[in-house]
Amino acid sequence: MKRVLASHLDRGLSWLIRGRDRRASHVLLAPATVWLAVFLVLPLAWLIALSFIRSGPYGSFIWSFNLQNYARALDAKYLPVVLRTLAYAGAATGLCLLLGFPLAYFISFYAGRWKDRLLILLMIPFWTSSLVAIYCWMIILGQEGLLNSLLMTLRLIDEPLNLLNTPFAVILGLAYFYLPFMVLPLYGSLEKIPRNYLEASYDLGAGAFRTFFKVTLPLSLPGVVAGCILTFVPCLGDFLTASFLGGPDSYLLGNLIENQFLMGQDWPFGAALTALLLVCMAGGMALYRRLEAQESWQR
Amino acid sequence: MRGRGLAAYSLGLYGFIYLPLAVMIAFSFNDARRNVAWKGFTGRWYSSLFHNVELLGALATTLELAAIAAAIATVLGLLSSYAMTRHASFRGRSLYGSLFLVPLMLPEIVIGVSLLSFFVRSRIPLNFWSLAFAHAMIALPYTTNSIRARLLSLKDGRLEEAAMDLGASDWQAFYKITLPLAWPAIFGGALLAFTVSFEDFVTSFFIAGIGIVTMPIKVYSMMKFGVTPEINALGCCLVLATVLLLAAHHFLTGEEESGRI
Amino acid sequence: MTRRYSRRDFIGLALSAAAFPWLACKRSAERVVNFFNWSLYISPKTLPRFTERTGIKVNYEEIADDEEMFAKLRAGVGGYDVVVASDYMIPRMRELGLIDPYPAGALKNLRHIDPKFRATPYDPDNSYTVPYMWGTTGIGYNRGKVKSPPQSWWALWDESYRGKISMLDNARDNIATALLLKGYPETTTDPKAFADISEMLSRQRPLVKQYSSGTYIDNLITGEISLAMSWSGDVLQAARENPQLDYVIPKEGSYLWVDNLLLVRGGPNREEALQLIDFLLEPEVNAEITSFVRYASPNASARKLLDPGLLSDPRVFPPASVMKRLRIHALLPPETTQLWNQTWSDIKLG
Repeated sequence: MKRVLASHLDRGLSWLIRGRDRRASHVLLAPATVWLAVFLVLPLAWLIALSFIRSGPYGSFIWSFNLQNYARALDAKYLPVVLRTLAYAGAATGLCLLLGFPLAYFISFYAGRWKDRLLILLMIPFWTSSLVAIYCWMIILGQEGLLNSLLMTLRLIDEPLNLLNTPFAVILGLAYFYLPFMVLPLYGSLEKIPRNYLEASYDLGAGAFRTFFKVTLPLSLPGVVAGCILTFVPCLGDFLTASFLGGPDSYLLGNLIENQFLMGQDWPFGAALTALLLVCMAGGMALYRRLEAQESWQR
Repeated sequence: MRGRGLAAYSLGLYGFIYLPLAVMIAFSFNDARRNVAWKGFTGRWYSSLFHNVELLGALATTLELAAIAAAIATVLGLLSSYAMTRHASFRGRSLYGSLFLVPLMLPEIVIGVSLLSFFVRSRIPLNFWSLAFAHAMIALPYTTNSIRARLLSLKDGRLEEAAMDLGASDWQAFYKITLPLAWPAIFGGALLAFTVSFEDFVTSFFIAGIGIVTMPIKVYSMMKFGVTPEINALGCCLVLATVLLLAAHHFLTGEEESGRI
Repeated sequence: MTRRYSRRDFIGLALSAAAFPWLACKRSAERVVNFFNWSLYISPKTLPRFTERTGIKVNYEEIADDEEMFAKLRAGVGGYDVVVASDYMIPRMRELGLIDPYPAGALKNLRHIDPKFRATPYDPDNSYTVPYMWGTTGIGYNRGKVKSPPQSWWALWDESYRGKISMLDNARDNIATALLLKGYPETTTDPKAFADISEMLSRQRPLVKQYSSGTYIDNLITGEISLAMSWSGDVLQAARENPQLDYVIPKEGSYLWVDNLLLVRGGPNREEALQLIDFLLEPEVNAEITSFVRYASPNASARKLLDPGLLSDPRVFPPASVMKRLRIHALLPPETTQLWNQTWSDIKLG
């Protein structure tokens, strides 16, 4: 009996491990797929369905298909929030690019054996909870915070600057947190540039400046685009940064969504806003994919 | 000379990146209840942290949650990456590959609100287990990626074939060859998954039911409701935990470099 | 045949299989009660004492706002046993079936409650509510940062405090105060009145540093803001950290509110919930909470135990002359509540 069981077990395991049968692959993939279906796909589908219904008083649902939530999300009242979010995310992305490109360039071209260590150092603040990062900035930017005290001591200003709860603080916080999302793809694309192209350019008499703008920069463009997308998209959905570092003028899409779910009791409207966010994300990803495909085709 | 300028700039940028953390660490030893001026060195915020029963409870919850989420994500990740790398190619394989990356790409708030509305709608209680399962989902891309990369780097199973030529069964080949070789990636992936769950705030914020307080949630309520000077010390502990986890991960996958076959 | 599955495999498997039920058990063995309260609304000693005495663990969760609590209960986020909510919220919660009446005779300490706080308009037959604490809405300020102590609500519209003002982040306090200042009745639905107060609150918006019901306290302490629309006890607690802080009920008058302990319908731990509520009503416990949170207690026996200094503090227990200027929030029909929320969210969007 025991032996029969063992031989069945054996055969089953062999079947799974060899995987000549397609069904064996599906069996091994099933647990993860089911997991994602239950905890990711179904919730998303439900959320999207929710965005097409109407909400009644005190957060009840009225089950009739309509598009009013979407119309509302883009009407004159909420459009400024959407546009502001795009502007903030854009500004943060630009700042990341500006700050991150020289760093990626340095790591790729000059860091030598320090490369790995520098990249890891870059990732640590990102792995730390974003809350902690936001909290740190609150300490620094306050009226009596570090930055103001420093500037006052140096007599550069007479009165503390109002830094916390301003758009500046929000954009700074976003750029700070999402910087690795920019630097890593930039670094990746700079690494891929064959070094002899640069040598060739120098040999042909181009200076460092010209080589950078005519060779390095164009070749790193895929990384620039990827970095921008990877920074821009998560910035769109951020709500923590604005709620702690922002003021009344920094009310972003993420805050609006959070509010609909946790305070405003208008889940269908919140779902529509979230769906808009998803559309932006999907657009970004599609663009990214397309560029990636083009790039691999070129090579 | 350009390199030197760039090096100085990069150093400055790293300063910018680490300044906030450094400030928090410094203030966690400041003998004042407010982050305003330096009043002298003290370790009392740490000692009050370690005597705070609520916080220790939160730490236990966070660790349990992360351990369970990492265990689930690792098992699921191992099974699926094995099928994706060692089995004969089949239609839709790349589709699976991108499906497993979706949780990584979605803005966190989307995951949070969709899980909240789904759980509430389907009357799934918002308890410890639903949160742990959700964390396992978020962590899945990390384990899958890590293990898959390692299995791919193992030259398509030639070693297993050799073992089987020498008379090993499929299971023996898997258990004695594949698994030990993939072990650093499995453990490394599990550590990343653990870190993801340990640090997660947004998802927990939306779906943690009553009585489930994780460390990041504790930090949040300290920030929101204020008046707790221990927060600096707590933040430092979180950073330290992250650094240790990442160092362990690096140690494991760094080994991969030298131990490559 | 060689041994294919080593003993180690099975031990490992068995251990991991055993870990799950163990973890599951560990979380369900103890007696608990789930308590949802406002932030800064209990003494740090209270709940440990309760646990010590009864062995019941309290899962304590804080909110900054009524509406947040209401949204959670309304959404069906279950598991809560006891919540604290303001007077005006009660009829709404009752109508939607979110709370249960108290079983008769379940609370032996109910007799300590001052009769003035019983048979209220929001709960005429005393079935659903047990008053916990009461307080007022006014202005918290930093004496070192204002020209002179504010006397009027209009100080929050003073151009010279631009970027130094914080307002509570809810419709109730903002709209009600604006209506009061403009002389409209609180129950009005007149579009002209709403246009008027919208204009007034929007005008204030550029001066406001933050709309907040939670972080404003920290910002007051650190000097980040100078003036804040605030709740009485919050500021008085903060004054322990920064002695420059003070609280005033403006001369135009304001609102007083009574917060109540409520039994959530479907709460899983009813017996424990009643024990907790009865504990909170014990004069000695209640007095300790009041002395810590600096909100006024509706518990007559507890008041006798208070420090005379606290009892005579006009900021905690306003004298009769100030009481005349205080009113309680009107009970609004759902449509009006929606109008308030809409107006407020439009103002915040800017």
